[in-house]
Amino acid sequence: MPVKGSEELPGPADVELRLPAAGAYVSVLRTTTAGLAARLDFTLDDIEDLRMAVGEAAALALEVADEDTDLIARFWLGDRTMTVSVATDATGSASIDEDSFAWQVLTTLAASASATTDAGRLDITLVAEATPLEAAL
Amino acid sequence: MTDEPTRDELVDPPRSPAMEETRRRSAALFVELSAPDVSPAAHTHAREQLVHLHLPLVEHCARRFRNRGEPLEDLVQVGTIGLLKAVDRFDNERGVEFSTYATPTIIGEIKRHFRDKGWAIRVPRRLQELRMQIGATSAELTQALGRSPTPRELAEKIGCTVEEIVEGLESGNAYSTLSLDAGDDNDDGAATMLDAIGSEDESLEHVEIRESIKPLLDALGDREKKILLLRFFRNMTQSQIAAEIGVSQMHVSRLLSRTLDHLRTALETD
Repeated sequence: MPVKGSEELPGPADVELRLPAAGAYVSVLRTTTAGLAARLDFTLDDIEDLRMAVGEAAALALEVADEDTDLIARFWLGDRTMTVSVATDATGSASIDEDSFAWQVLTTLAASASATTDAGRLDITLVAEATPLEAAL
Repeated sequence: MTDEPTRDELVDPPRSPAMEETRRRSAALFVELSAPDVSPAAHTHAREQLVHLHLPLVEHCARRFRNRGEPLEDLVQVGTIGLLKAVDRFDNERGVEFSTYATPTIIGEIKRHFRDKGWAIRVPRRLQELRMQIGATSAELTQALGRSPTPRELAEKIGCTVEEIVEGLESGNAYSTLSLDAGDDNDDGAATMLDAIGSEDESLEHVEIRESIKPLLDALGDREKKILLLRFFRNMTQSQIAAEIGVSQMHVSRLLSRTLDHLRTALETD
């Protein structure tokens, strides 16, 4: 199932992960992401990029997350592409700061990224694509 | 981890004639080892004999640390290093039994092995080795492919499974102790990564200044340049500089302030 763009997500996620919205669990999220990416034949660099991007997405989400809420990560696995959505309840804050360092890093590392806030729910979605395997020059 | 648990591994085995024999031989070998006129060959021989003689002691010590996730052979190996150290340091004149002296050294070496420098989470040796192999192979493949390899390619090259590669990569993350977003476990849910990065990097600004000051420095006279260098890069005092270039300290002071004034105005008018 090819996944392009982050607006229209094709049906239910292939993998879902619910974590306490706390900094200590971000590493679990990053590890999971890396594990999935490895199975999609991402290169090590791609995996590192994605790991970092997801970490930033989580950091952004945690900054505005309500207290005692969860972080829900969903993964759509495609053919050497992955869409990751990190969502949390954020009733207090309207949106994330797109000038922030974290967002800059995130958009640089991911093929595309978007953040939406809808009814007190923040959803950061990013798409990562693996480097083509033909010798890239 | 298949060896039989022995009942008495924590208790000293009873003295047997065999042990008495070991003690006797050990003492004799140490006499030989520490003889003032010992030839290098005889010394090496005696040392080797001693190590062989006391290997069971190492095994005995290593067994105490079994079932802690390290292969027994590894423990015996590091324990043997402890034994070697003990043999080399043992002073025959002290009148203590060698085994009494060696045991703490051997156990110390094994414990050190468990502390295994730098690993935040204790990663089994197997994974540490795999991680190194991944590092080397990935450098090799990056060169060959013109891009970084995928875990699958690494697995094929190394001859293990993708799972093992993923595991190895994870263990690599345990090696560089602090994860940026590990959090300090306080419950305010703060994004620790951002906290860490939030401050302006002063040295960035310095880069700019350094770059614009370069041509100005180049335009300085040799003596001025040298004084600046000695003062700010070698951290010498004005008096030391004076001695170095053979003028008075007052003169250094004047030259220095004049040079700095000059640089400052030049930078500002830029």
